[in-house]
Amino acid sequence: MATVEKPRAFIRPDGKEKVTGTGRYTADLVLAGELVAKFRYADHTHARITRIDTTRARALPGVLAVVTHEDVPDVLYGGMVQDRRLFAKDTVRFEGDIVAGVAATTAEIAEQAAALIEVDYEPLPVVTDFEAALADDATLVHPTWESYEGDEALGRHENTLGYSTIVKGDADAALASADVVVKGRYVTDPVQGVPIEPRAVIAQWQGDKLTVWTSTQVPYAARAGVATTLQIPESNVRIVVPLLGGGFGAKCDFHFEGHVAALAKAARRPVKLVFSRREEFFAVGHRREGMVLEFETGARADGTLVARKARLVLDKGAYCGEGGFFAQMAAMHALGPYELENVHIESSLVYSNNQPSSSIRAPTAPQVCWALEQHMDELAVALGMDPVDLRRKTIVETGSVTATGQVLENIAMRETLEKAVEMIGYGQELPEDEAIGVAVGWWPCFASKSGAYVKLNPDGSGTIITGAQENGTGSVMAMPTYVAAELGMQPEDFSMLYQDTDAAPWDMGSCGSQTTFNSGRAVIAAAVDLRDQLLDAAAEKLEASRDDLELTGGSILVKGSPDKSVSIADLAGEGTFHGKSEDVVPDGPEAPAEGCVGRLGLESFHAPQLIAHAVRVRVDRGTGVARVLEVAAAHDCGKILNRIGADGQVYGGVVMGIGQALSEGTQLDAEGRHRNAHLTDYKLVTASDAPRIDVAWIETDTPGAGPKGSKGVGEPPCVPTAGAVANAIAKVIGARVHKLPMTPERVWEAGA
Amino acid sequence: MKVATTLNVNGVSYPVDLDPGTNLLAAVRDVVGLTGSKEGCDDSECGACMMLLDGQPVNACSYLALQAEGSEITTVEGLADGDTLAPLQTAFLDLGGVQCGFCTPGMLVSATALLEANPRPTEDEVRIGLSGNLCRCTGYDGIVKAVLSVAGSS
Repeated sequence: MATVEKPRAFIRPDGKEKVTGTGRYTADLVLAGELVAKFRYADHTHARITRIDTTRARALPGVLAVVTHEDVPDVLYGGMVQDRRLFAKDTVRFEGDIVAGVAATTAEIAEQAAALIEVDYEPLPVVTDFEAALADDATLVHPTWESYEGDEALGRHENTLGYSTIVKGDADAALASADVVVKGRYVTDPVQGVPIEPRAVIAQWQGDKLTVWTSTQVPYAARAGVATTLQIPESNVRIVVPLLGGGFGAKCDFHFEGHVAALAKAARRPVKLVFSRREEFFAVGHRREGMVLEFETGARADGTLVARKARLVLDKGAYCGEGGFFAQMAAMHALGPYELENVHIESSLVYSNNQPSSSIRAPTAPQVCWALEQHMDELAVALGMDPVDLRRKTIVETGSVTATGQVLENIAMRETLEKAVEMIGYGQELPEDEAIGVAVGWWPCFASKSGAYVKLNPDGSGTIITGAQENGTGSVMAMPTYVAAELGMQPEDFSMLYQDTDAAPWDMGSCGSQTTFNSGRAVIAAAVDLRDQLLDAAAEKLEASRDDLELTGGSILVKGSPDKSVSIADLAGEGTFHGKSEDVVPDGPEAPAEGCVGRLGLESFHAPQLIAHAVRVRVDRGTGVARVLEVAAAHDCGKILNRIGADGQVYGGVVMGIGQALSEGTQLDAEGRHRNAHLTDYKLVTASDAPRIDVAWIETDTPGAGPKGSKGVGEPPCVPTAGAVANAIAKVIGARVHKLPMTPERVWEAGA
Repeated sequence: MKVATTLNVNGVSYPVDLDPGTNLLAAVRDVVGLTGSKEGCDDSECGACMMLLDGQPVNACSYLALQAEGSEITTVEGLADGDTLAPLQTAFLDLGGVQCGFCTPGMLVSATALLEANPRPTEDEVRIGLSGNLCRCTGYDGIVKAVLSVAGSS
């Protein structure tokens, strides 16, 4: 185990096009004859559709296509539950449900045509209070839920899309005998991903073949979604992702590719959709969910955690999307990285008529961690212990057994906590309006299949063909670095062919912090295959035994005979050498998880990443304004491949976490409509708000980790930030803020 | 009814016909054909469309194109000297100021204007000077370091 000191830097290969403005994002592309797409969204957040009449829209000059549910196959789609149609058929269930699409020669005509579509509704009772949606007599968001195809393990029932428990021992009995018991209830507002690039989609048919250029993080899922909803073979669908302007999870999942493809088919012309910022807020069916969280924890006087009970209710919104696993993921974060003797956690993922929730950077974790880490600080106060000492006493470490029965091996939770505390100078004298807050968290790796090719070009350079997706996260640096190391070449020797589903084998995409872990493993396997072929060829050419050869500096040498060598460029010949991956997915750790329901595979955390953040915060008691002055972020994300890339993930994740802590929250009206779907009132952290951030990496060698000991790194940095900020605020004002974000009003009301 | 005008972008004069309501960003992207400047909000909130007008930064999404007649317009495409990157562009790449790259054009244009007005800014001055440009990837760390490094070396 070691702390990384020296940067290992490699400038991103897509950098020059990005700083010169010559790079092309989806909205920058123009196809000859392209039309503009606009949607007609639901006029109510819950209503039965009684009539759709597109006659006037179709008659408008310049309109080439109007598409409704009648014009596409009647297909239900969705991740773990298939509960949604491309175009609403009989019912609209949230503000962003799409009733119709229009393709026209100009944006103005398309907008006018969308408004001319006549839609009659019978309004239905609106379910916006997702906690009340659990009641027996609540209005059902999906009255036909039983007819939907879905994962049996979800435990669906009426408005409950997912239900998960974690049970260990007898929590009630242990609470009754605890020396100290604390309780807390916390509520979080929904939060948005807000990539700076609004999404864009262009679809073009050539015969039966469809090409879609789209700003997605998951091209293969987008391909499958188009094929399923339009009932065409996947081999007829090619998804290409030009440069992607950020995602943060919001561009995961199949979204609008199907709608635009249907419009392009009907119009017999290429069609382009570019979202406005307002649409990017309300229409995307992809936000961080609101939650209600109730915790009760009992401890012995020495701090030992004898029991935890928790009840979590998560707002799924109108449709499943790819967020079906949230109940179990949230339950795992309600355990947190702690040793617990007895546990009873119950987590419900509930339909409502709000915007659908799906993965945003470390889905469910920041909200649960914010509540739990406040709850732990409240326990520390009740015990008369220092909050950091309480964590020292209760966090997991190597050899710990989690509440689901997973044995944790080679993790550095303790080291990250100690490092964060040391970096921030915990215990120092501070002005009375400042305090330091600390929080810890965890996050799993996701093992998944991936595939890749590496080919040599005639000049001895190489090309990596990978399903890895780049959304700013650095796969364009990681993949060449891995391949070059296997072949004794330099990362700069490689180009990448990527973000094109016709080129590379299937890949999960840029989600779950999985690219280095899985796509990295695949490109290494392909490079090893290529290396074997090169060694065979060199052995023949040099009349040497393969075992005596080594690859270095772009050549293959006979060890001990420096004059006997052949360059890879000489061997490359016509450029027919190519290696392909044979993928072996690492097994996940076992967890018996006896007595737990809603088991979706997350009851054990594969090669967990451990995180500790310590923050120094100033609170203006007169106004309730909190400002984060300094952040110390210590992470166990395994072995670090590229320090510039890894640090960048922490800087960005922490600042996103600060936004969630203090200013970012979607406000809904009584019918579940966005009230602040723009950047004026949904406030991101700016350069002048952002603090200094110090980053430390504690390198471990965790079993089941990715290539060269790596774990994921994209999602963990935003997990504990809001909890640490909350604990600092509470220290300054002497009261808890039980609502997230902790806006000046809420801080002031709590007691500033 | 279109109006004939001339836009001078990065030292090149473009004769164009524009609807009077066309904003400068749409004119430069869709009519002139330079797509480096981005639309992130169409509301002067994100700064991805930032251009220089006679050296002054403007949110081009909220500026009428016809008002730019007679002005020198500079976009991200005009910052490099041929194939040689400007020091700010190199520093952004070296110091982790670029991830997804969508805010980068506007950020570079704002940083150029900032250093022109204040060649030796403090860190606070850089942060305030760039607070009209939103970045969701970098936490601003690499961007601020890049601007300071160029200021220090100029």
